[in-house]
Amino acid sequence: MEEEIRPLPKFDYFSPHSLHDLSTLLKQLKGGISFLAGGTDLLVNMKKRITIPKVIIDINRIQELSFIEKRSNNIHVGSVTRLNNLIESSIVQENVPLLTEAIRFLASHPIRNRATIGGNLCTASPAADAAPPLLALNASVKLKSPDDEKIVPLSEFFVGPRQTVRKHNEVLTEIIIPCEKGSNAFMKLGRRRGFSLSVVSVAAFGIIKGDKFEDIRIALGGVAPTPIRAYKIEEMLKGVEVSDRSIEKAAEIAKSISKPSKRAKRASVEYREAMARVLTKRVLMKIAFEERG
Amino acid sequence: MYQDYLGEVKKLLHGKDYKVVGKNVIRVDAIEKVTGRAKYTTDFIIENALIVRAVRSPYPHALIKKINKKPAFKIPGVVAVIIGDDIPGENQCGYYLDDQPLIATDKVRYIGDIVALVVAKDKESAWAGADAVEVKYEELPAVFDPKEALKGDFKIHNRKSPGDVKVIKGDVEQAFKECDVIVENIYKPGSQDHAYLETEAAIAIPEAQDGILVISTNQGPFRTRNAVARVLGKPQSQVRVITPYIGGGFGGKDTYGPIISSLAAVAAEITRQPAVIVHTRYDSFVYHFKRCPFEIRFKSGATKDGKLKAIEVDYLCDCGGYAAHVIGLLKRAAYHSTGVYEIPNCNVQGIAVYTNNLPVAAFNGFGNPQMLFAVESQMDLLAEKLNLDPVEFRLKNALVPGSRTGTNQLLDHSVGIKELISKVAKKADWVKKRSKQKRWQSETKKRGIGIGCSWHGCGTTGFKHDWAGASVILNPDGSVTYSTGIVEIGQGTITSHAMMVAETLGIPYEWVKVELNDTSRMPDSGETHAQRGAFIGGTAAVDAALKLRKKLNKLASEILKCDEDEITIEDGIAYSLNDASKKISFNDLVREMYQRGISPAEYGFIKARRGYPDPDTGQGDPYAAYTFGCTIAEVEIDIETGEVNVLRLYPGVAAGKILQPDVVRGQINGCAMLGLGYSLTEVVERENGKMVNPSFTDYLIPTIMDKPEIAEFISVEDEYKYSGYGAKGVGEIAFIATPLAVANAVYDAIGVRFYDLPISAEKVYFALKRK
Amino acid sequence: MKIKFQLNGQPVEAEAPIDETLLDFLRNRLRITSVKKGCDLGECGTCTVLLNGKPVRSCLLLAVQIDGEDVTTIEGLSKDDNLNPIQEAFVKEYGFQCGFCTPGMILTTKALLDKNPDPSIEDIKIAFEGNLCRCTGYDQIIESVLRAAKLIKR
Repeated sequence: MEEEIRPLPKFDYFSPHSLHDLSTLLKQLKGGISFLAGGTDLLVNMKKRITIPKVIIDINRIQELSFIEKRSNNIHVGSVTRLNNLIESSIVQENVPLLTEAIRFLASHPIRNRATIGGNLCTASPAADAAPPLLALNASVKLKSPDDEKIVPLSEFFVGPRQTVRKHNEVLTEIIIPCEKGSNAFMKLGRRRGFSLSVVSVAAFGIIKGDKFEDIRIALGGVAPTPIRAYKIEEMLKGVEVSDRSIEKAAEIAKSISKPSKRAKRASVEYREAMARVLTKRVLMKIAFEERG
Repeated sequence: MYQDYLGEVKKLLHGKDYKVVGKNVIRVDAIEKVTGRAKYTTDFIIENALIVRAVRSPYPHALIKKINKKPAFKIPGVVAVIIGDDIPGENQCGYYLDDQPLIATDKVRYIGDIVALVVAKDKESAWAGADAVEVKYEELPAVFDPKEALKGDFKIHNRKSPGDVKVIKGDVEQAFKECDVIVENIYKPGSQDHAYLETEAAIAIPEAQDGILVISTNQGPFRTRNAVARVLGKPQSQVRVITPYIGGGFGGKDTYGPIISSLAAVAAEITRQPAVIVHTRYDSFVYHFKRCPFEIRFKSGATKDGKLKAIEVDYLCDCGGYAAHVIGLLKRAAYHSTGVYEIPNCNVQGIAVYTNNLPVAAFNGFGNPQMLFAVESQMDLLAEKLNLDPVEFRLKNALVPGSRTGTNQLLDHSVGIKELISKVAKKADWVKKRSKQKRWQSETKKRGIGIGCSWHGCGTTGFKHDWAGASVILNPDGSVTYSTGIVEIGQGTITSHAMMVAETLGIPYEWVKVELNDTSRMPDSGETHAQRGAFIGGTAAVDAALKLRKKLNKLASEILKCDEDEITIEDGIAYSLNDASKKISFNDLVREMYQRGISPAEYGFIKARRGYPDPDTGQGDPYAAYTFGCTIAEVEIDIETGEVNVLRLYPGVAAGKILQPDVVRGQINGCAMLGLGYSLTEVVERENGKMVNPSFTDYLIPTIMDKPEIAEFISVEDEYKYSGYGAKGVGEIAFIATPLAVANAVYDAIGVRFYDLPISAEKVYFALKRK
Repeated sequence: MKIKFQLNGQPVEAEAPIDETLLDFLRNRLRITSVKKGCDLGECGTCTVLLNGKPVRSCLLLAVQIDGEDVTTIEGLSKDDNLNPIQEAFVKEYGFQCGFCTPGMILTTKALLDKNPDPSIEDIKIAFEGNLCRCTGYDQIIESVLRAAKLIKR
């Protein structure tokens, strides 16, 4: 029975201390691998028998995966960086504040002390709060396997609910976020004020010049099998005057591009679509207000 | 017949102020709980205890054709597999009715019905064993809608309904003819999970001489003891139940305590080894019994001068596969169906019906939140039709001393509701906010204010007995050993007992030690439910202490050579009021008792001052006293998202004497949050009767972020004469009033009336869309 | 697997099975029953311990993961009946009822006040968002934290 809580299943456990050791390990192992980072998803899934790994590779001790740096005009974040460390980082706050705003209330404080940014992305819940801001910021992720290393734009990373392009022997090592000066807004709707999985979340980054949307990037969570960029809205708004009407139009598009899975629990399809509209409108109004001063 | 306990203690204390009752003290459980030393059931780690895991039916309604134990025994750690036929005593654990086997034998009646127990040396083997037991079922047609169950022929039991109730008074038909306004609606308040933080658990340990010790999460140690004795086929004297601190009860462990205890006991008895059963959070959510959902058709009428004339109510209680706790709550709902108002004509009929849903439990309010949701919604609807302010309308009809209830019970004193409503309304600034609200608008947010009044009879509902025992022993050094069967579930009642014993004896509160709850120590105190822990359980404590105090007074007067009436005992010194030089210390006095062969120990044993309503008309006195509650809620609704934000709550209670002000505040505020959850976010989602949102992620109880501002509570101390110190119960009343107020406030804000609970954002969104 | 770690300021060496959570390890092997199993899924907060001073869910950590780390449970806050100011505050302000969530609440208070000695009510709400309580309605818990802050400053 799904959701039933059982004692942990048996597994082999490794805790490499470097990326090099990790590569060696990955070359030796056949499959059935789960990476243990924050543990806030993996251990839950194991108790519910949703995930039954043969091997757990604990990557918490790999120092090379925990860092926050600014290099030229990008922020580089190690995948095992804890969410609370990201929130408290002045580098992140000053350069990509949209991310800070979005994850500040993700889950709850003790969870954020362990949960990692890489873990949140790899778990790939359609409602994950970290994805929309990173999508709006044009972030990419670095995937490393024993023989290869590649950079994947986050917009190509998610392929389905809880599914990403990451192969079983690949580790997400780094998130790369370009820095840009502009206005940011993030809003989410839960089912209560306290921590709850977002029904819908919207992240937006915008630059307004001469009362027109010069650049606008919007991403939504909870309205599709994966978090999505709203390119249709962005195209429509580019060069358009900032007004109640243009914002209303944009919000309507948000509703129309929302295709939440009928199987998604927690809120009906119609409500999600309606909330996509409401939150998009509010996010755009916040950006407009901020830019106008 | 019934002692005027309040009068007696006041006489003893010579009219002086209480030294400890009514003040805040350090709770008896405080140090243990803040240091982490407090022990709950699973903190008693018994070496080599066997682990018990239940095999439960995956079908809501099916015949059990065959059970094959053999595959389970292939797992090395498995020690025993127990089926219904293996039960040594009677295979029966129904709370009121004998309709519920502990382990099902012929058929299963809800998803989760237990068909076998696997007992093993470790957790993994127990789980594997439970998976391995082969059970062959033959599915039967199942029903989940109570109306369908009533109409159809599903043969869940030999009869469709385990019980019904009627309250018939006056002439309803005639009365409606005289009414100027009549309102009739159908209400469907839903289920709710207790979601206490400690799940159900029990340990059973065979003791010498064929005895058995049970340590478990329960709210009725003696009921639990009797249930275990029955299932094991042992005399009650052979079973001992220890009830440690409980991590939240709310009624759920009242219902499930005997069941989980019996499961562990059976395993221990058969294997002759200690056995432990613990529910995971999933188990607790999916399998423990919950609040009973009601379907109520409520018709009320009033005359244009604003006087309520008649109510006609019929309601259906979906009790699931077994009766469990439904009979009690079915009856309580009927006896409270007038609300806090005088209504001369009542025709109230309630019936419980079997379905294949999960059975129901006691839960804070016990049928009252459901019924009063209908009552208080009706009141606002009537007020609107009569063009009367909701508070004014309530004041016009509120019960007063001398009123008779719907069951024709005379409430001769302790009826503080009218004063309470006025005071709460004043505190909340009702009149101003009610009119000002219309003006406060924003584009996306609308505000409203609403009122809800509640009442709750204290004591086990009048169709079952309600007695309580307690034990007070004076030790030679003056310290006092106190025992009660009332359980500490967080409400702080045992501290109240210690305070009342100390006050009555005239000694410092710190001299009284409350012993671990053990059924071998004193006679049955009854269950810890129905707001009776201090009200009735505590009165037994006072009964015992009074008996001792009278002996002490007499002895002191003999030793000090003065009149008994002159004697006072304060702070552990007995002295003459006329001559303070005539004194003797409390411990010297006690030592003298021992020397002179005067018993230094007394049992208190009392019976609640009430009767048993007539089975056909419901007329009678089902409760000794009623606590009243009134809450006003201010809400703000985001009309684009549907989110209901409760801004402020103004709670109030008329609960007699408040024994521990800050503890009572904690209960009121805690109850308010429980009520908030029931109003807005707590939904038991079901498929085939099985809960499909069995985790805290999806069953949403209020977090600290969801907390509204809660004003300091209003208290009308309408003391009750026949309880020690005049206290009534207060553990449920503030919960009940909350959803009533919130629902009325929502209507005031957006003009949409919700006839079922909870009022989720999505529901509000769609209701506004339709408007 | 053999693990070495600091528990409430004392070094501990123990054998921990790989497939055991820190919660089960503390309760079943070290007999530290103040850490509770309310849900086992990291949703309720009753299993809270401080890992290197920060509140975490012990039910979502494997015991073997704390090798070389610093773990604090409520036992680390006081000896016998001598109460830590936080515990004193919870007693005086009635910040508990059934007490099941209390060890988690008190540890969270310690972590908060160590970092932020003068928290606002908003700060407190954020810190305690992940600790569920079914009994108190949270007001007296907030007041306990505020009082603890005052007591510590003295």
